Amino acid sequence: MADKNTAIPPRNINGISRPGHGVVVKPKDMKGTLRRLWMLTKGKRKGLEWILLLSALSCAAAIFSPYLTGKIVTMIVDGDAIIFVLCILAGLYISDWLIRFLQQFFMASIGQRIIQHIRKTLFDHMKGLPLAFFDRRQHGELMSRLTNDVDNISTTISNSLTLLLTYFFTIIGIFTMMVCLSPLLTLVSLGGIVLIFLLTRAVTRRTKKLFAEQQKALGKLNGQVEESISGFAAAKTFCREKQMEAEFQLNNDKLCHASIRALICSGYLMPLMNVINNLCYVALAVFSGILFINGNIRDIGLITSFLLYVRQFTRPFVEIANIYNNFQTAVAGAERVFEILDEPLEPEDKPDALEAENPRGDIVMNHVQFGYIPEKMVLKDISVQISAGTQVAIVGSTGSGKTTIINLLTRFYDVSSGEILLDGHDLRDYKMKSLRNIFGVVLQDTALFAESVMDNIRYGHKDASEEQVYEAARIAGAESFIERLPNGYHTVLEQGGNELSQGERQLLTIARAVLANAPIVILDEATSSVDTVTEQKIRRAMLKICEGRTSFIIAHRLSTIRDSDCILLIEDGEIAEQGTHEELMASGGKYARLYQTQSGFPVSNRKH
Amino acid sequence: MRLILQYLHRHIGIFLLSTLFLTMEAMADLLQPTFMSYIVDEGIADSDIGRILYYGAIMLFIALIGAISAVMRNRFASQTSQTIGKEMRQDMYHNVQQLSLENIDRLQPASIITRITNDVSQVQELINSIMRMMVKAPITCVGAIILILIQTPKQAPVMVGIIIIVAFLILENMRVGYPRFGTVQKKLDRLNGVTREFLSAVRVVKAFNAEAEETEKFDRASTELAAANVAALRIAAAFSPLINLTVNFGVVLLLWISKNQNSSEIGKLMASVNYMTQVLFAVTMISNVINVAVRAMASSGRIEEVLNERPAQQFPEHPLRPDIKGEIQFENVSFAYAGAGKEALRKINFKIEPGETIGIIGPTGSGKTTLVQLVPRLYDASEGRILIDGCDVTQIDEAVLRSSVAVCAQKVVLFTGSISDNLRWGREDACDEEIKKAAEAACADAFICKTENGYDTWLGQGGVNLSGGQKQRLSLARALLRRPKILILDDCTSALDAQTEAEVLAGLREHFEGVTVLLISQRISTVMRADRILCLENGAVQGFGTHEQLMKGCELYTKIYDSQIGGEQNGR
Repeated sequence: MADKNTAIPPRNINGISRPGHGVVVKPKDMKGTLRRLWMLTKGKRKGLEWILLLSALSCAAAIFSPYLTGKIVTMIVDGDAIIFVLCILAGLYISDWLIRFLQQFFMASIGQRIIQHIRKTLFDHMKGLPLAFFDRRQHGELMSRLTNDVDNISTTISNSLTLLLTYFFTIIGIFTMMVCLSPLLTLVSLGGIVLIFLLTRAVTRRTKKLFAEQQKALGKLNGQVEESISGFAAAKTFCREKQMEAEFQLNNDKLCHASIRALICSGYLMPLMNVINNLCYVALAVFSGILFINGNIRDIGLITSFLLYVRQFTRPFVEIANIYNNFQTAVAGAERVFEILDEPLEPEDKPDALEAENPRGDIVMNHVQFGYIPEKMVLKDISVQISAGTQVAIVGSTGSGKTTIINLLTRFYDVSSGEILLDGHDLRDYKMKSLRNIFGVVLQDTALFAESVMDNIRYGHKDASEEQVYEAARIAGAESFIERLPNGYHTVLEQGGNELSQGERQLLTIARAVLANAPIVILDEATSSVDTVTEQKIRRAMLKICEGRTSFIIAHRLSTIRDSDCILLIEDGEIAEQGTHEELMASGGKYARLYQTQSGFPVSNRKH
Repeated sequence: MRLILQYLHRHIGIFLLSTLFLTMEAMADLLQPTFMSYIVDEGIADSDIGRILYYGAIMLFIALIGAISAVMRNRFASQTSQTIGKEMRQDMYHNVQQLSLENIDRLQPASIITRITNDVSQVQELINSIMRMMVKAPITCVGAIILILIQTPKQAPVMVGIIIIVAFLILENMRVGYPRFGTVQKKLDRLNGVTREFLSAVRVVKAFNAEAEETEKFDRASTELAAANVAALRIAAAFSPLINLTVNFGVVLLLWISKNQNSSEIGKLMASVNYMTQVLFAVTMISNVINVAVRAMASSGRIEEVLNERPAQQFPEHPLRPDIKGEIQFENVSFAYAGAGKEALRKINFKIEPGETIGIIGPTGSGKTTLVQLVPRLYDASEGRILIDGCDVTQIDEAVLRSSVAVCAQKVVLFTGSISDNLRWGREDACDEEIKKAAEAACADAFICKTENGYDTWLGQGGVNLSGGQKQRLSLARALLRRPKILILDDCTSALDAQTEAEVLAGLREHFEGVTVLLISQRISTVMRADRILCLENGAVQGFGTHEQLMKGCELYTKIYDSQIGGEQNGR
């Protein structure tokens, strides 16, 4: 059944991977995704161009300070007054500080503004998606898209973008400076760069596989932990602690080994890079020394500048490789976000859609067929006419399609073929919102929110007065337990209702439906977890609000629905039997047999 | 932090070794500019190519030693951090396994899971960072000061002054930034909470047309998170460029002091400037590690909480190992869940003979599940005693007790693995035939055989590929395999339709000759056939006896009966 998926708590698989060394997830269409991102953030990135300009400017210090330092060294050697150049250098540093400060300061607010915008866009879209979408997906995974992926997009992309810009200009700038100062020495430094480039590629290619293994081991361990902790009581009663721990130990060891291997391998990169860098440095020192002695270089400051340049030149190259990897991962995250944004919304209302205000409540189903997946029809051929004010009970074994009928009535899903008419008009001809307003539903899953009991009852009807809430709670029979809560109606359900018993939760959702005061009432297993005494109470209350309204009741316990005007027995997606309790019992068919097993008495024992 | 040190202490040898290599690595980096200054001051100044090549060779040699040290350091650092991570997870998991259900309720399963997985990763990351950078930075700073002192003593005050200012800035950054990052974490939790709520309630949201309300909640949480983030990021924006500026000004000051430098010592000046850049790198590293540390601090606190949690239940040192027959006696038993004000059970007294089947019925929240959970000691009574065959359950050996009591819980828990793996939970050494027999008795054999691989069918996490009724039947078969002396069936047939339920219960009766059965159900038809029935309301016994006795003497029981069957009987 589509409505029985369980929420799995989100887990962050990225916990271990370190930025730049983790698994790189390749985006499918980098250019297209980036273009869409650019479109998406339209209007929200005011000021971004200034930040980009600032990032471009922030390379100035890296480019010019070695030159100035070298200049000063020359001047000191020559015994010239250095105060002027020193002031320029100081000025350069101060402007560098200002640029960095402004860039980071504004980036903070602009970046967050963009994140918030993307998140809002995503949520706005998600809330309009059809139920099929939510039934198909794991909640944890959706949540990680809303938080992790969105965060990643903005921080990584904005950081990467600014850094990439800075480094790009730094490399160009330093290269130009170096060529201008001495093409010969530049050549020496370039050799090192090429080496570093090749090395980075070789190492990353190897580590990629190792990190993938690590990630796999981590996923396995997390899965096992999740399973064994959630099933703690079961493990205890079956004395499985030792086996659990052994299994955990195995997975844990595997993860540890995989991680160590991956980290050691990736750890070769930096030291080797350092060696190359130092090699460069030495080569430069020796080479320039020889040139100086030979008289090819006159200026000792030039050597100083170069030595500083070489130190600064290699870093951007190493970083760019890392940044590009992060960038790719973030773009892949953006693709996951867009995947959701591309999901089609619930069908739009037709232009001449009807308002479903105060309907009579006649419902007709004509040869309704429906399947959650096209290959497997859950409802095969349902045809039934229900006149306004009828109380309809739907019974049948698990998986026969009872809840599915409700899903179609409320248009959580649309029929695959056939039609459902309300007061003579196809459900799809009504405005979706107005249609849902006419149904008061109590669903199988008792969804409550981490708000006060009061707000939970008036959910969807914010403007209901406190008196109306009290009245609804009284009718639903929830009054007595609410009053026993520490703060009565103002008790906040911190754990989203988990602190209440299943029965109490159900009573609250019933009160919510009572307050909604809708023309058509749907109770899907509404009283399954309530004890039979309470159930009687609720049933009486429901009968009261069902009076004169069309209502649908799904129940396992046949005793609950005995008094219904019409009972539909669904089997294998078809209506097997239909009629009142008396009629069905008299016919002695499947319903009668079911009833007999449930009540524990053979049919013939009934006294009339 | 104390926790991290504790674990580091266990690996102190490797840690020191790695620190040694780290020191060598840092020294190698530090020595380079010094030899470079020799090249300039001795080689170039004296036009001595031989000296230049000589010092160049030394520099290369040092670079090589540095690289080897770095590789070794990385090896040890990775090993230590990952091993510590492993040990932390292991210790947490081990401790959690010792805990009682009460502890798990308090800590909450979801939270324990994130602590074992996520929080440990954070700490691991910190240890790794500490071992690769944190230690290196001070060594670099101190080394740079010493070398500058040796070469050009008059520059030392500038150096020391700069480092003091930088240290002050970093500490200040931590002090101001820490609480703000805490706020960010809280707001993130809030946003996650709102989202989770929306996702799990999406049907209700749609049914009640409450999309606008949900959007409003989400927007509020999202805005708060963004504001908290901006506040935290702005602190970083204020401090990190300032640290850069300070070090850069150090360079300017160095040059200014050296303006009258003897030109023969120009190499030393170049070295000093180089050292300054190295110091700059070192402090940037420190501020990076601090960001990791801030997050890891919070994590380490959460890990400690799990490690320090002590089991709420005590087990005796010299436990009794009786051969359990199945007599159960409750003596004045009261029970309240931790943190709950009102008692879930009040002064319960009853005695069950071995082999009896006891039906338990009562309104929701009357304490039925709580009562049966006390028998296998999932919880301990707050007052009174529970005796099995005359022995207090708290004195009985845990393994003996749990192997004689089998529980079929309301909520079925299945694990990743094959169907037969899951059934073998009942008894490890059960043969295939026994498994099939148990499955048949629980009416599970038919549907198992219909699956693609029969008993070898692989179940996803929590048995996601099965329906509720199928899961319940597997859970029953699992309990059957156990061959317990006491069997607890906690409303475990609720997802079955009436017909299957009747078949299953008949199968059970056949199998459990001589076994004490506690059978909870909402349906009176299910409990009616039990030897005796316990009727509970609000945690107190309202009636205990046969169906006939209760029909005469127990008001609640007759009320339940009437509501389910009676109306029919009276010909209403």
